[in-house]
Amino acid sequence: MSGNKRNYTARVEAGETLPDLAELCRIHEIGLDLIDRSHDLDELLDRVLEEYQTRLATLPSDALDARSGAPQPESVRKLRGLVMFATQAAALKEKAMAALELKRRAAMLEDSNGRLVKALDEAERSHARLDGVLSALSSGVMIFDARGACLKANAAARTLAGTEDDAALARLIDGGVPKDGEAEIDLPGPGGVRRTLLVSRRAMVGDPGSAVVLLTDVTERNRAVEERVRLEKLAEVLKTLSVLSHKINNPLTALLGRAQILQAQKTGDPSVAKAAAVIEEASLRIADLIRELAQVVKDGRQDAVDDLLDMSSPTPAPGGRR
Amino acid sequence: MRVHVVREGETARLFVSGCDAIDNANAPEVKAEALRLLGEASDVVVDLSGVDFLDSAGVGVLVGLFKNARLRGGRARFCGLTPGVRSVLELIQLDRIFEIYDDVATAARS
Repeated sequence: MSGNKRNYTARVEAGETLPDLAELCRIHEIGLDLIDRSHDLDELLDRVLEEYQTRLATLPSDALDARSGAPQPESVRKLRGLVMFATQAAALKEKAMAALELKRRAAMLEDSNGRLVKALDEAERSHARLDGVLSALSSGVMIFDARGACLKANAAARTLAGTEDDAALARLIDGGVPKDGEAEIDLPGPGGVRRTLLVSRRAMVGDPGSAVVLLTDVTERNRAVEERVRLEKLAEVLKTLSVLSHKINNPLTALLGRAQILQAQKTGDPSVAKAAAVIEEASLRIADLIRELAQVVKDGRQDAVDDLLDMSSPTPAPGGRR
Repeated sequence: MRVHVVREGETARLFVSGCDAIDNANAPEVKAEALRLLGEASDVVVDLSGVDFLDSAGVGVLVGLFKNARLRGGRARFCGLTPGVRSVLELIQLDRIFEIYDDVATAARS
């Protein structure tokens, strides 16, 4: 507090006269009026400033003039009245400002609470939509947190993995599937038929450490790939057989014809006749084989090829020699 | 006595020079000149660093400036209070009614 303030305060407190009863009543009335208006800071300030102006206009100049000598008793009385009014006006203004600030904060809280509720509703709707999408997917989808715990798995994932247990789902990918990579996992299926699952693991954007895992049953796809490879191989074998039979058939026809000519010539040499008979018999067997080959090529069946391959295993040569 | 008004953006800065006090002798003149120069300005910073003393008429000028800014939907801020001015405003509690800042820059920023 400055020296001047002490000086003024002393002048007010050491006034020669007490405020008269009428002034006290007046200040009391103003106080009640100000309390009525204190719910609205603007209204309160308007009334306070008006009262200040009225009182300052009638306050003698010497009441505040430290340069002059001791103020007149009337000046002190009026100054005391002004200070009494000012004290309650200032206190009410501060309370009104505090109330306004509380109101402002309450409005902000209400606003942010409204936004929060809206955001929660939206999040709930998004969650429900996500659940709906996940349920509708035929592929298995699982979401894991940074510690590897399964946060969510759709019905397809549980069916494909053959378990409802989240820990078992977590073990499914634990160690076997690289981060941001994929792997095939064989699992026992119903009836002992093994199934192959393609497990793809990807990091979730915006959530470090967590991952989304897709499970796809690739058993049938792998089977289809194997079948296609088998059919391609079969086609190649059949093509080779077709070419071979065609290429063998021409010289074989010549060979059989010559053998039959030799037999018809009756050379008188029994060894020639026997050799010609053996050549003819072997040629006829080769011709039968080529016909069978042609039939196999025509049918295009795997089992026929397999049978043929069994038949084509080393056969004893005519006369018991190989 | 001279009243200066400097406009800085939306804010009008008012400064009184050439007199130590705003008192009964010059208060009507100061008030009339200030209101004339401020015109329609509603955002006012009143720099009192050039005033050493106020009497009731001088305080009445400040209340009038404060009220005028409020009537125009704006605000008046006071700064640069000398000890003499501060003690008067504190005595009649106007330091709790007015917006008071240490200097012009702080008042303009607020």
